[in-house]
Amino acid sequence: MSTVVKKQKARNPLGESWGRRTLNAMRAHWQIYIIILLPIVWYAIFAYMPMAGLQLAFKKYMPRRGIWGSPWVSFKNFQNVFIDPAFLRSVWRTLSINILRLVFVFPFPIILALLLNEMRAKRYKSVLQTVMTFPNFLSWVIVSSILTNVLSADGLANSFIRMLGGSTVDFLGSEKLFQPMLYITDIWKSSGWSMIVYLAAISGIDQDQYEASEIDGANHWQKLLHITIPNLMPTIIVMFILATGNLMSAGFDQIFNLSNSATKNVAEILDMYIYRITFQSAPDYGLSTAISLMRSVVNMALLLLADRGSKLMGGNGLFA
Amino acid sequence: MTAIAKTHKPGKLMKRKDPLQIVAAVILTLFALLIAVPFYNVLIVSITGQAEYLRAGGLMLFPSQPTFDSFKRLFQNNLLWTGYRSTLTIVAIGMPMNVLLTFCMAYGLSRKGWPGRKIVFVLVLITMIFNGGIVPMYLLMKELKLLDTLWSVIFAGGMNTFYMIITKNLIESLPESLIESAHLDGANEWTILFRIVMPLSKPILATIVLFYAVDRWNEWYNSMIFLTTPNKFTLQLVLRNIVINSEMQGAAASSGNVSASAAQFSMGIKMCAVIMTMLPIMCVYPFLQKHFAKGIMVGAIKA
Repeated sequence: MSTVVKKQKARNPLGESWGRRTLNAMRAHWQIYIIILLPIVWYAIFAYMPMAGLQLAFKKYMPRRGIWGSPWVSFKNFQNVFIDPAFLRSVWRTLSINILRLVFVFPFPIILALLLNEMRAKRYKSVLQTVMTFPNFLSWVIVSSILTNVLSADGLANSFIRMLGGSTVDFLGSEKLFQPMLYITDIWKSSGWSMIVYLAAISGIDQDQYEASEIDGANHWQKLLHITIPNLMPTIIVMFILATGNLMSAGFDQIFNLSNSATKNVAEILDMYIYRITFQSAPDYGLSTAISLMRSVVNMALLLLADRGSKLMGGNGLFA
Repeated sequence: MTAIAKTHKPGKLMKRKDPLQIVAAVILTLFALLIAVPFYNVLIVSITGQAEYLRAGGLMLFPSQPTFDSFKRLFQNNLLWTGYRSTLTIVAIGMPMNVLLTFCMAYGLSRKGWPGRKIVFVLVLITMIFNGGIVPMYLLMKELKLLDTLWSVIFAGGMNTFYMIITKNLIESLPESLIESAHLDGANEWTILFRIVMPLSKPILATIVLFYAVDRWNEWYNSMIFLTTPNKFTLQLVLRNIVINSEMQGAAASSGNVSASAAQFSMGIKMCAVIMTMLPIMCVYPFLQKHFAKGIMVGAIKA
């Protein structure tokens, strides 16, 4: 520490100490502190106070004594969590749904972007893009209401199936179809929007590469395989990291609005479980906070792991 | 191939006649139809009477006897209008607050040289990957006496750190010399923020405003948790309740002795509610689409 100070002194002709210089710098920038004051206050109250509230995970919550006054129970909440078989089932279900999401839903926007990139008719392209991106701006409440209409027994899809001679399919009320419906509706709602990121990346590719390859006689497929896709890789990796970081939490809005009493057994992902034990039966706030805390820690670990992995693979990583 | 095509002066749409382009067009058109048709169907069902719906099913191009009965029924529901009131209040107060907080924070973080900048930035980033979750938030609102007020919903969604980072990156990409020369001319930080930075970042400002407005419009989860009085519910929450309630009515009608003509056409009313809820977004979306796309591109390129 002292050597650092000495070095700084040597560099500073006025001989000011580190503390003094900091103070001067703060004084010189006092207006900035005022500007960021409001957002800082917001973060302190509505982001960090709840984080401090995570101590409930180690406490038995007593409404009269509040978060800070409730007694500590060390790891008892965590032990209770693992007693409940529904908890482990929900964890497993969350992971399997979101991993399958990565398999089925994640590649879709990439394919859409590559296809749209092949098209030349500009006007039509932008019409398609407008249509495909629109559902992303609707809430899952709206989307699931639309789907209940289209997929109901008398609805469009089933009328069509019957016209072709098939029998009525209970799309939203069957346990077997629940997971496939999640992936399909997810693609329906959000893949057009996710496509935009890849489109931007494609339009950022250096055109010289294509021209050079044309001179070398590359055909369409070769250009796609050896120029477009390799250039897309960094974007794909970043999006993949982001998706991995959400493995434990993705899909609550969707599942909460799409599930019903017929599918509730296969729909209870971790967030649904937390919601149920918090707001529907006799609430144990300590228990649900303990689960939220574990979920957040696992999410963070996954994110950092994926980030490290992408760096090992030679990618940029998320925070670079 | 392309050289030959060019010498033949091809039509506008067919500069290159390779099959891949046609396949792409066909697949994408099908996908777009798959998205568009449900919306059209919602519109059709909302203006169809129950008798015709039961006869023709969902598979019709246009009702032979369009009727606005379902809309009339829906408009009698007072909760729809209180829902509009809540949502518009939240958009009108919440969105400007979002934008102000976001720009102040982004500008502050984009300025260099003030002590504590790194720490503040790290603390802000942490909130992106770690949060307290719903229980501490609920108890906080309870302690602040904000439960069952619209303020709880407004404050809970006060800022989106992701949008803030996008804004910060964009401000940092503005020419430094502009800000420096303003400094030398004796402009203070507020003048720089509101007179120079904000006007220069109009594209991102528009995007951020739109994103926040849509997020606010779509607010349902926080309102479901924090609000208990039905006439304070946001529009999305009202829609949710209408869909669930009329589902129950529908079940009663099909199992009981209610005659088909006397029963409300629950699906029709539901779809009217859907239309009323998404109408604003649908109206503005085609005109503003380019701003939305710009926003995510800026974010993507910088990320």
